[in-house]
Amino acid sequence: MRNGLILGLLAGLLVASGCHKQEKLHLFAWSEYVPQEVIDGFTKETGIPVDYEVYDSNEAMLAKLAPGSAQYDVIQPSEYAVEHLIHREMLAPLDFSQIPNVANLAPDMRDLPYDPGQKYSVPYMTGTVGIVVNTETVKDPIHGFADVFQEKYRGRIVVVDDDREIVSWALSTLGVPINNMSPENLAKAKPLLKRWLPLIKVFDSNDPKRPLLGGDVDIGIIYSGDAAMLYQQDHKFQYILPTEGAHQFIDNLCVPAGSQNKAAAYAFINYILRPDVSKIISDKFPYTNPNAAARKLLSPEQLANPASYPQAGHLDVFHDIGQSAADVAALMTELRGQSD
Amino acid sequence: MTPNVSLQSSETGRPATRAAWLLFAPLGAWLVLFIVAPTFILFVYSFFHGIGVREVQATFTPGNYARVFGPAYLRIFGRSILYAGATTVLCALIGYPVAYYIGRADERRRNRLLLLVMIPFWTSFLIRTFAWYTILQRQGLLNGLLEALHIIPTLLHAPIELLYSPTAVMITLVYTYLPFMILPIYASVEKLDNSLLEAASDLGAGPMQTFRRVTLPLTGPGIAAGVIMVFVPAIAMFAVTNLMSGGKVRLIGDEIEKQFYSAGDLPFGSALGMTLLALFMLTFWLATRSAAKGK
Repeated sequence: MRNGLILGLLAGLLVASGCHKQEKLHLFAWSEYVPQEVIDGFTKETGIPVDYEVYDSNEAMLAKLAPGSAQYDVIQPSEYAVEHLIHREMLAPLDFSQIPNVANLAPDMRDLPYDPGQKYSVPYMTGTVGIVVNTETVKDPIHGFADVFQEKYRGRIVVVDDDREIVSWALSTLGVPINNMSPENLAKAKPLLKRWLPLIKVFDSNDPKRPLLGGDVDIGIIYSGDAAMLYQQDHKFQYILPTEGAHQFIDNLCVPAGSQNKAAAYAFINYILRPDVSKIISDKFPYTNPNAAARKLLSPEQLANPASYPQAGHLDVFHDIGQSAADVAALMTELRGQSD
Repeated sequence: MTPNVSLQSSETGRPATRAAWLLFAPLGAWLVLFIVAPTFILFVYSFFHGIGVREVQATFTPGNYARVFGPAYLRIFGRSILYAGATTVLCALIGYPVAYYIGRADERRRNRLLLLVMIPFWTSFLIRTFAWYTILQRQGLLNGLLEALHIIPTLLHAPIELLYSPTAVMITLVYTYLPFMILPIYASVEKLDNSLLEAASDLGAGPMQTFRRVTLPLTGPGIAAGVIMVFVPAIAMFAVTNLMSGGKVRLIGDEIEKQFYSAGDLPFGSALGMTLLALFMLTFWLATRSAAKGK
């Protein structure tokens, strides 16, 4: 019996080393963002197996991508992370002759400021961070952050657990540019944050829908994709772009400079840009689809979802803030440490 | 097969044989590679300058430790010690009677009861935590039960809001670590010599006095082992405490993770980690010393 086990192990090793010869695509992307259907479809069509590893913040992805660490073929950074990676020459320029489907992108989703001349990135999905209100329990109108953070809503608010995001709400409420996290600006934001933070009941980026659905809270400041799913479940969850200004994020597909399998990476990006494939992503994760050809395939209900396709508002994009990230973290640690 | 292989045979005091070292080699290599080397790297990093996101300058500074011992982080350390300490005390108070009962039961019953203590380990820890989530949330199982029993709204006016509170964190911590207190205490209760208890009673000690002067000292090492096994991991618990408190109860584990991820300040994160390690060693030393005294 023991011999049998050893033989089995040996056979397993042989099979594993045999597999190694076959090219594999190493995808490193956000959790809950690339439908399994899409990955299976790609493998079925091209015969390239996909290894899908996930992260839950740009910072976690950047930490793993640090020089000398594991190799990936396709990553999914948000706009400011793209900027950070281009700045450090950690991305490979894309060969667009192998990605003809890039033409499907909406014109306003091409050549974006964080990647001048669009050399390194292809938008995957975009969205906003905005306010969700359970209109059954909250009767007063809510237009912006100032309406949310009121004493009467103490203990009824959920927000994404992201220090930079939360600080940017205070800055836009004060009319300060959200990408300037200088010590002076942080000092200005501090008193406001000090008043706001104790009102919040839950900080959760992974699944902020849960406390809203469970009735634990009535108001959320969350990602538009989550808000869109809430709206699909129950129209009582209304989405509002804060009047003070909302953060628009653009998540991209990029190829790290160290990728060993660029041909497969281009094939994958081209596959994602196909309208029918992009529609599957929208069905599963109702963020704003940057693919104009795919948008034509969406149902009227999907397009009418106010969280996926909000009325135009004042939108701001994040930029790489470099070392200020540590100051933001220090400020929030100090304030959140006091809040219980 | 070589019989009687040991690194340093305690009976004869003879030096370790070559075969013994060979057997030890894989474990030794594992310890050096995954425990000693990373700890050393953390130690060195903790004295570097953090100059940008995940970038360091290899020049000496004690500044990271100065920040660790500033008011913001001392408060977080203090809170972590408080939660871990409360968890340890509650686990000991709940776990001791349970361990005593199991240890004194007859053998068949004892094995069955032990199995009951172990059963939760068959399910992933994460799934068990999410089960608590479902029980404690506002429209969850607990409030559902209370409503079905008409306790809400007769005795209580509104559903109890347990989730996202310090109470929820304590419930999870005590629930998670209780078995780690029960098992070592059980092991020392099981070894209790009945004749000593009988002797105490023959010499006129009442049940309380017997417990205080015979049982408790004899099970002391079990309690000390339990304290280490609960307090040390509880102080470094993270993610789960964050989930149950809705991110409101910030403990040191979450802060360290934040330094390595969102803040990207590796030297400062290393300094926090080294301080936590020092705290572990202090706890360990105190617990083993008190156990030795108990003997």
